[in-house]
Amino acid sequence: MKFLPLILKHLRHSWIRTTSTILAIVACIFLFCTLQTILVAIDWGLHINNSTRLVVRNGVSLMYYVPITYKEKIRTIPGVKRVSTFNWLLGFFGSDTNPDWTKFFPNHAVDSEEYLAMYPEYILSAAEKQAFLEDRRGCIVGPDTAKKYNWKIGDIFQLRSQIFPEAGPFEFVIEGIYKVDNALYPGTHSGMMLFHYKYLDDAVHGNAQANTLVVEIENPARAGDIAKAIDQMFENSDRPTHTETENAFRAGFISMAGNLTLLLRTIGMAVIFTILLATANTMSMAVRERRKEIAILKTLGFGSGLVMALILIEALFLGASGGALGILLGQMTIKALPNFPMIGDALRQYPNPGLSLAVGAAGIGMAMLMGLAAGFVPALTAYRSRITDMLRTI
Amino acid sequence: MTAEIKPIHQNGMVDVQNVRKIYRRDSQEITVLNGIDAQVAEGGFFALMGPSGSGKTTLLNLIAGIDRPTSGKVFVAGTDVSQLSEGRLAGWRSVNIGFIFQFYNLIPVLTATENVQLPLLLTRLSKKERRERALMALNIVGLTDRADHYPRQLSGGQEQRVAIARAIVTDPKVLVADEPTGDLDSKSAHEILDLFDALNNDLKKTIVMVTHDPRAAARAKICRHLDKGVMIDSEERELKDGVR
Ligand SMILES: Nc1ncnc2c1ncn2[C@@H]1O[C@H](COP(=O)(O)OP(=O)(O)OP(=O)(O)O)[C@@H](O)[C@H]1O
Ligand SMILES: [Mg+2]
Repeated sequence: MKFLPLILKHLRHSWIRTTSTILAIVACIFLFCTLQTILVAIDWGLHINNSTRLVVRNGVSLMYYVPITYKEKIRTIPGVKRVSTFNWLLGFFGSDTNPDWTKFFPNHAVDSEEYLAMYPEYILSAAEKQAFLEDRRGCIVGPDTAKKYNWKIGDIFQLRSQIFPEAGPFEFVIEGIYKVDNALYPGTHSGMMLFHYKYLDDAVHGNAQANTLVVEIENPARAGDIAKAIDQMFENSDRPTHTETENAFRAGFISMAGNLTLLLRTIGMAVIFTILLATANTMSMAVRERRKEIAILKTLGFGSGLVMALILIEALFLGASGGALGILLGQMTIKALPNFPMIGDALRQYPNPGLSLAVGAAGIGMAMLMGLAAGFVPALTAYRSRITDMLRTI
Repeated sequence: MTAEIKPIHQNGMVDVQNVRKIYRRDSQEITVLNGIDAQVAEGGFFALMGPSGSGKTTLLNLIAGIDRPTSGKVFVAGTDVSQLSEGRLAGWRSVNIGFIFQFYNLIPVLTATENVQLPLLLTRLSKKERRERALMALNIVGLTDRADHYPRQLSGGQEQRVAIARAIVTDPKVLVADEPTGDLDSKSAHEILDLFDALNNDLKKTIVMVTHDPRAAARAKICRHLDKGVMIDSEERELKDGVR
């Protein structure tokens, strides 16, 4: 492209304008990428909520257990469909003295039959499910974990437990690798491991109790009533409970986050629009200053289309470099986000951290569009303007 | 009506035939050129004089093919310029016309050679060839040593010489200059006019020059006067000898 030096010389000549325009686009794209990623993560958090499921935990704190006997009692409450234990194993690879937490994946002991019925998002073939239910040491793992450790059905592995250090190691046989369908069940965790509560309880001589109980109810509209009924049932016991919809935290979060996303989106759009206007303005100023040059080029025989293209390419160059830098910066920030307080908490559980291809592509596209939009009017002006008029007004 | 437009009456390198140029502003019509006839032979040096606002630049622009007449014909180098579309006109200009402005009109962000190379960007020449040609043109105007200077580092006379180099780099048949010495001191003006003489005599360029300066006009082989859109000299006056 023999015209490139001409374009580059202009950009270099007015380097203050070039830098400030690129910086504006960088800010814009950075903002877009980071915001969009956070919004997607929040959205994900909202989607995995299912209000037909309640979580019963110890009234004091998650640190204390819920007596396993409560399971049967809760089952008697009208409107309750299923109840399952849900216990953490906090199982890890490595030795007690030297646990390898870098290889950690969530592992939970559940009442398998009930739990799988309550959580259709863990999709298993009938054969896998049956094999799992029939194998005392059986477990199922998510596709990501299976892939990460190159596991296939029938593989055996051992975990030690942070919670029951004296009871390990636990040996598991992979009987199933569940599938996730993000269209049907958006936000399904794809790295979970589930095994039988019975296996855990036997290993610790019937002392496993329950970290939490998950309760499936018939009618989500009655979630509040039933939660209250459960808590009332144990109100006067020595271990009262606290029941909320599966992540009532999130339920409360929904309305707040709904507003928050709207707010973020609005601010984001406003900022982006402002920057776009500013960029367009700088570009048209740049071109107005160059009326004379446009007239000269046209006089020398440069066609209107070519002159227009030169201006558009200059604008596109600004857009592209701003976009690339913005994405780079966004990528770095997004990687660092989980370390920030508050936002980090919301993002850490999101399974796909980092800048997604879709958001990145949208960002680049937007930057190019901004460049084009900024360059369009000036380019069109250059295209249309008549040499004689321009020479006259110089 | 025939589809083919033949330059039946064409005389010489430039032949302006009964040209009228009318500007319309709102409902007002301004007749800037009112039936102009002018011929410049191949290798001619034509000076156009006249008071401000008489239409000199307008006529020059028509000859250079950056504007089109309201009526009449403008033949330049065998082409009826008044019939070309704007797109074709641009391509035609790049090959046939070298334009020299009063205020040089170099592009400030480009060096002298780069400025001179601009018209060559529209050709198929390689980068190396473009640079060689540009240096050749700069050599003709005597500015090889300033090849890599920026316009702001040059004097007015030097800038105008770079502009002349740019005008001749594609080796056009016709050079068109609008008050080329209008912004220069008399010494620089003198040098530029010497250069015009050389281009006319040695390189056989046909030159059409608008000027207010009688000394500049005196260099031309033909000088004609324009006033209120008409040529006021009844006959062409040959200035070759004597009058100077
Ligand atoms: N685009 C236009 N619209 C309207 N009027 C115009 C236009 N271009 C030129 N004119 C008018 O045409 C007339 C002749 O203009 P032109 O520039 O040809 O004069 P000139 O002889 O070159 O004058 P000068 O010596 O001052 O350069 C002027 O009155 C000018 O106002
Ligand atoms: Mg003029």
